[in-house]
Amino acid sequence: MNPIFENKLSLTRRQFFGRSAMGIGTAALASLLNRDLVAAEAAKRFGGLPGVPHFAPKAKRAIYLFMNGGPTHVDMFDWKPKLQEMHGKPVPEEYLGGKRFSTMTGDPSGKLLLAPLEKFKQYGSSGAWVSDLMPHTAKIVDDLCFIKSMHTTSINHAPGISFCLSGAEIPGRPSLGAWLNYGLGCETENLPAFVVMTSVSKGTTCGQIFYDFYWGSGFLPSEYQGVTFRGSGEPVLYLSNPAGMSAKVKRGVLDTIAKINEQKLRDFGDPEIAARISQYEMAFRMQTSVPELADFSKEPKEVLESYGPYVNEPGSFARNCLMARRLIERGSRFVQLMHAGWDQHKSLTTELYKQCEDTDQPSAALVKDLKRLGLLDETLVIWGGEFGRTPFIQGNFNDRPVWGRDHHPYGFTTWLAGGGTKPGVTYGETDELGFNAVKDPVHIHDFQATILHLLGIDHKRLTYKFQGRDFRLTDVEGNVVKGVLA
Amino acid sequence: MTKILKSLGRLPSFVLGLGLLVSLVGPRVGFGAEKVDFSRQILPILSENCFNCHGPDADHRKAKLRLDDESDAKKDRDGDAVIVPGNSVKSLFVSRIETTDADDLMPPPDSRKKLSPQQIALLKRWIDEGATWGEHWSFTPLKRPPVPAMKPGSNPIDAFVAHKLAVEKLKPSPPADPTTLIRRVTLDLTGLPPKPSEVSAFLSDRSTQAYEKVVDRLLASPAYGERMAWDWMEAARYADSNGYQGDGDRTMWPWRDWVVKAFNENMSYDKFTVAQLAGDLLPSATQEEKLATGFLRNHPINGEGGRIADENRVDYVMDMTETTATVWLGLTVGCARCHDHKFDPISQRDYYSLFSFFNQTPVDGGGGNPQSPPALAVESQADQRRLAELDTATKNATDEIDRQKQVFLSSGESGSSTNAGASLSSATHDLLKKPAAGLVETNLALLAKEFETTAPDFTKALREAERALKARADYAKSIPKVMVMEDLDSAKTRKTFLLQRGLYNKPGEEVSAATPAKLPPMNPSAPRNRLGLARWIVSNENPLPARVTVNRAWQMFFGAGLVKTSEDFGTKGEFPVHPELLDWLACEFRDSGWNTKRMIRLIVTSKTYQQSSKVTKDQRERDPENRLLARGARFRMPSWMLRDQALAACGLLVNELGGPPVKSYQPPGVWEETTFGNKRYEQDHGDSLYRRSLYIFWRRIIGPTEFFDTPSRMTCSVKPTRNNTPLHALITLNDTTYVEAARHLAERAMLESSQPEKRAESAFQWVTGRKPNRSETKALLAQTDLAKAQFSSTVEDAKALLAVGESKRNESLDAVEHAAWTATCLAILNLDETLTKE
Repeated sequence: MNPIFENKLSLTRRQFFGRSAMGIGTAALASLLNRDLVAAEAAKRFGGLPGVPHFAPKAKRAIYLFMNGGPTHVDMFDWKPKLQEMHGKPVPEEYLGGKRFSTMTGDPSGKLLLAPLEKFKQYGSSGAWVSDLMPHTAKIVDDLCFIKSMHTTSINHAPGISFCLSGAEIPGRPSLGAWLNYGLGCETENLPAFVVMTSVSKGTTCGQIFYDFYWGSGFLPSEYQGVTFRGSGEPVLYLSNPAGMSAKVKRGVLDTIAKINEQKLRDFGDPEIAARISQYEMAFRMQTSVPELADFSKEPKEVLESYGPYVNEPGSFARNCLMARRLIERGSRFVQLMHAGWDQHKSLTTELYKQCEDTDQPSAALVKDLKRLGLLDETLVIWGGEFGRTPFIQGNFNDRPVWGRDHHPYGFTTWLAGGGTKPGVTYGETDELGFNAVKDPVHIHDFQATILHLLGIDHKRLTYKFQGRDFRLTDVEGNVVKGVLA
Repeated sequence: MTKILKSLGRLPSFVLGLGLLVSLVGPRVGFGAEKVDFSRQILPILSENCFNCHGPDADHRKAKLRLDDESDAKKDRDGDAVIVPGNSVKSLFVSRIETTDADDLMPPPDSRKKLSPQQIALLKRWIDEGATWGEHWSFTPLKRPPVPAMKPGSNPIDAFVAHKLAVEKLKPSPPADPTTLIRRVTLDLTGLPPKPSEVSAFLSDRSTQAYEKVVDRLLASPAYGERMAWDWMEAARYADSNGYQGDGDRTMWPWRDWVVKAFNENMSYDKFTVAQLAGDLLPSATQEEKLATGFLRNHPINGEGGRIADENRVDYVMDMTETTATVWLGLTVGCARCHDHKFDPISQRDYYSLFSFFNQTPVDGGGGNPQSPPALAVESQADQRRLAELDTATKNATDEIDRQKQVFLSSGESGSSTNAGASLSSATHDLLKKPAAGLVETNLALLAKEFETTAPDFTKALREAERALKARADYAKSIPKVMVMEDLDSAKTRKTFLLQRGLYNKPGEEVSAATPAKLPPMNPSAPRNRLGLARWIVSNENPLPARVTVNRAWQMFFGAGLVKTSEDFGTKGEFPVHPELLDWLACEFRDSGWNTKRMIRLIVTSKTYQQSSKVTKDQRERDPENRLLARGARFRMPSWMLRDQALAACGLLVNELGGPPVKSYQPPGVWEETTFGNKRYEQDHGDSLYRRSLYIFWRRIIGPTEFFDTPSRMTCSVKPTRNNTPLHALITLNDTTYVEAARHLAERAMLESSQPEKRAESAFQWVTGRKPNRSETKALLAQTDLAKAQFSSTVEDAKALLAVGESKRNESLDAVEHAAWTATCLAILNLDETLTKE
């Protein structure tokens, strides 16, 4: 049975067979339109599938801080004294065996190893190692669960990001957020369940374009795709009324549409008409709820400051982090922030610093802010990119200003916070050079299965039939990583 | 009710279609006096529940048992057999599906698959009846089914539908109101609303052929080709840029225009097919035939730094293979990239054998060049004329140089002291000795400089030639280059290997070009190249293309195909609700010489198509999705059609065929934000803003923002999606196109009459085709009065609203009144009836 259709049908049944044979009368319609009230009594959830979540979730919602471009794990979190020691020495052959790299590296034999750019220190009672590049993240390590044994299959950005977010390298599968939207629905009717915001470091030379299939619904109906909130201009395209049309005039227009549509519904009996009436009302509500969301004037000063100097700058990662918290507070299910500029092929010694400055403080502030509001327990925060970067150099060893590292899928780091994850732990390891995931390796599909698990979903059971096959986020793989669960 | 279920037969499809009823029906679902039909009733159950481990995929097969293969399922296994024909009790198959022992139960509980008691009963009955095997329905030869008895002169489509409705004891709906009907058919065949004059001409035409005349007029209009082309663009993943990083602009639009022209000229579908798959390989292929192969090159190109060229190349060839299989065969062969297909008899070997046909292009996969060779410069007749003019101008200019230069040459050679010739360098001298027609721009510039002070007339001639050459070169550069297909020389033929797990760098055994083994073979004398493949696809023996194509046409007009899974005719696809109708239509199409217009005419002139789309309570309960066709189709139009409708109704539409894509209104900064400022959106002005949606520039990484529910154009898409979300409402309420259309609609209505009732009536009628009823008129007038009151206290607002959109407004109209009517017309453009094809 197609669950979407089942849902629609039951809605239809409620509307038509539960109320009156001739379609819904004005009173019923009014209550349909005022679904906030009705629904608040029933259950505070809109959409979603019956029977999902499959079990009591630890996390009710999630925020993915997606670091687009491949953050350099060996410079930020994965401390390897041996890499420091072997600085400038060729990478030992035994690490390379048959591995492929991007055409920018080609044959990796003889490439020189490059030590981490900055010093590492241990922090917190958990004693996690963090580079001096990330001073704010260093202060919250006891709330974080690091996974240092991530590995993936792709060596290029678009396929790698698509793999991370949709479980397949080729575009066309539903993204994580679309699956959550489909399965879990939303806790508000005034804002979208799945929101995406993008940002990029100013003046970066190594930003990767964001493709809409990173938040696409694939073969799920397009209503499940992420709604992009823009950094500049209107947060949602076409949100504002046309110039010169006041909310009052607009209300009149909508009332007229509703009046005539209601008559149509009585004449034609097509349930789509009832759905259309309610969608037009929701559009009107979004015109108020979205601007309110983007208005930070009531945030306490110290909260604004905690996100750093760029929090009021349109399109900044800091602003997006605070927006994410506000969305989560108001009932959105999944917020995907994507920040580009991590692809330092020849600008490690310059642009990596800027990149860390842009993301370190806001990411840490978001975790602290959620904790302050008591939301962290039910909110999963995910930080990470599509792959890491090579422990060896890309570029000329004697020309420090253009040092770089190439794409590296064989071992990299992500962190999780809140939402039922174990705080203050490090899971998995790479080898002595940060090259290959050797202890408790976590494949992307395992990672995805774990995220779904935290949200109360059995990754093998959230499926959708397309072209005759039951598809799921984790394809035919994926094991929940028990070691990160609280 | 049981009868509906019985006739629909295949369990999964009716569960999908009539889910509401399932809980109400008893265990006798699917039973009846007729013998169980393998293809329709048994194969889907086996495919869904068993083939994962006992199907075509050799690598994942368990217990060496195939349930997709008759002889294997029935063969002797140490005195037992899995299926014993005529004896369900002795069949191991039955004991394993009925056992209560969880270790033995099939399907195994951990597969999360479970047979219902009805399915088990059906399987047993099938075995007891002899376990007659069969072929999956869509793979069986296409044979013309007899048409059920009907009145002479009736449309056979109606006979098939009526026959089924009689079995179900459902009555067809009355014909749609004529106004609704002409709007429906005009939108369906042209994507535009009927003009009021066309509506009134139809209403007053008393002849019995009034409707057929309308249909013929529409099929003959150029807008028909534009309408048909939209769906083809989605199938062909057409875009005006590459996609991915860089996202360079490409010029594939001459191919798009070829498609429009082919539909308008009613090119037979077999010819249309061969041209697009292999036009370049036809004997003495014309420019048009080569151009047609742009179909295969419409795939995205990944120019991301660090991409391995061969990985890209293999991706592109896979895309060509899978697009072709979906569009013509309705098969989802993509699954067989990595392993044998789990459900359909497409092996991994079949996949790479098909892949091999497309694997011979010289495309190397490197870089992000949006005109990567082979590319064809597509010269229009005007281009050819202009180039000839420019050639003449160049020739005149160089002749003049040759005429004048004699004096310098002779003087230089004789060593005399003629002013100009005296100081010539040897380089200059050498250039002068050549015929001027052989000089390039830089040569001419050099000479001009040399003679600048000494020989002004000669310099003038040189400069003239330089200008003419440059003009020619510039013009040649502006001629669009379309990526097309070619095959490598036979000496360079590329070997094709089965790729393990679909990885470009993991070749397995070598394969040669061949069509899927389960389908009728290629003619042995046919060439084993794309031309052979294309001809095989449209050969009379191939059962799939005709079925798949008529099904998509049906989908276009009814919202869903006779097979709802229009992208999948495999064993997991839907079994058609009207299998005989589908086959009959497919035969008509094929046997008419693949005549597309004829097939479409047949569909839209049926009574089935012309029914009213009002839903009765009985119909809603018994057949909510209208699979039995007891009523007309009613569904929201695609967003591109909504835009065209708004432009046409208000009179702004600029109806001009073809040409380079245009950039219409778009909120500021969308491209810039997506591409970090690399792509700037430069909106067009004037007529370009009002061209049909088909011509709007499609940037692949960020498609036009005013459309919704459109596929991403990354891969082939043949099935439309229709959602109903608030974001859609925001577009049709707030986008400049719709607000400007509302303003024009208001202006037209105001100029037509000073009577408010008449104005409301006209505006409503231009959009919906019909006059509003009394309560609708009342609502529109009340709306206008209210808005007028609001705007009269905020005249600035009224002026601001009227300034939306670049077209001029008639300044003689009172601003407050015009703004109020604009608001009312915006409401009309957003009515459910306006958004819906009824």
